[in-house]
Amino acid sequence: MVIQKEFGHLWEILSEIPDPEIPVINLVELGVIRKIEESIEPEKITVTVTPTYTGCPAKKLFNDLILEKLAEHGFHKVEIISQNFPVWTTDWLSEETKAKLLKEGISPPTIGDKIIPCPRCKSTDTKMVSAFGSTPCQSLYTCNNCQEPFNYFKCY
Amino acid sequence: MKIKKHVFVRLADTSVILGQRLAEMCSNGPTLEEDIALSNISLDLFGRADELYKIVAKLEGDKFTPDDYVFRRNEREYYNIKLVEQPNEDFAWVIARQFLHDVYAREVFTQLSSSKNADLAGISQKVLKEIKYSYVHSKDWMNRLGLGTEESNTRLQKALDHLMKYVDELFAFDELDKTYLADCEKLKSIWFKEVDEVLLESNLKRNPFPPLSMRDYRDGFHSEHMGHLLSIMQYLPRAYPDAKW
Repeated sequence: MVIQKEFGHLWEILSEIPDPEIPVINLVELGVIRKIEESIEPEKITVTVTPTYTGCPAKKLFNDLILEKLAEHGFHKVEIISQNFPVWTTDWLSEETKAKLLKEGISPPTIGDKIIPCPRCKSTDTKMVSAFGSTPCQSLYTCNNCQEPFNYFKCY
Repeated sequence: MKIKKHVFVRLADTSVILGQRLAEMCSNGPTLEEDIALSNISLDLFGRADELYKIVAKLEGDKFTPDDYVFRRNEREYYNIKLVEQPNEDFAWVIARQFLHDVYAREVFTQLSSSKNADLAGISQKVLKEIKYSYVHSKDWMNRLGLGTEESNTRLQKALDHLMKYVDELFAFDELDKTYLADCEKLKSIWFKEVDEVLLESNLKRNPFPPLSMRDYRDGFHSEHMGHLLSIMQYLPRAYPDAKW
């Protein structure tokens, strides 16, 4: 899915919002902000948000952070539309974003959860400790090579 | 508080009640990883219920919020499958209940994912991605407990013998189910085939039980455990109406 690039400055503003659980990436990089549009009402904008997981505790926080950030820049008439379809997928994370995750110590999602590199020594000889990790989107892994325990961003 | 009988309500109620049962396991899991796993799955179920109640709210003209539906309905106004309200007697009960539910829910949402209702199709596709993790987890534990020690096998078998009594009603489809589910017979046959396979490989059995006179969850009937569950889940909003965080 191609993110539309009009309202360039608004996209930039929203890129300043870090993900509350993984602050190294922002909400735009995470792919939860799908659309920014002018509303029929004058001077009002609508932001379409697709949550990552239905039970994500940050779901409501996302909306609050967006409203807060836009208000900071003088946009007070904002409507947030929650859209479940198309379903959020880790495919929306760019290669650049994935590289940021890896640098931060979170192994980025790989198709089919097949090759999971250790963020420390880059070895792919790793094993799952628990499918469920510190946040709903991550699993716990450990590296067989350097023994480093790390989080893996699940492929959805 | 009256709620119109609806497939969405059945799905949402089933999710929220199972979510509550798993939330009871938070800080009571056998290991830290397991504690986190069950809490994570609980969170998914609450999220799923929230999205489904939003659809219900929309259908009912936004008179109520998802919180109203969860906290202001009495036992007989809930339409969840009885399987999910069964208590956490021990870890084997938690796993058996989860496994039986996961196979059922996966098949239900698979069929709903091609629904003509765009909201329902969207949420179903999302749920299917999430349920995968829960299913892998519960199936893995079925194998491990079933093939573990004599004690773990006996306990899991005991849990299954109790829980299986609440399975028949899942497949007693009514007209409402049939308007949403494309192929009810297929759902039933896949469920039994898969559950039987996993039981067999885990050295467990589906034991026969005497016929029960139990009324259907679709009419708001429950086992004796439901009232206790609600009394805890609804305590705060009932005692302090409109309390805010």
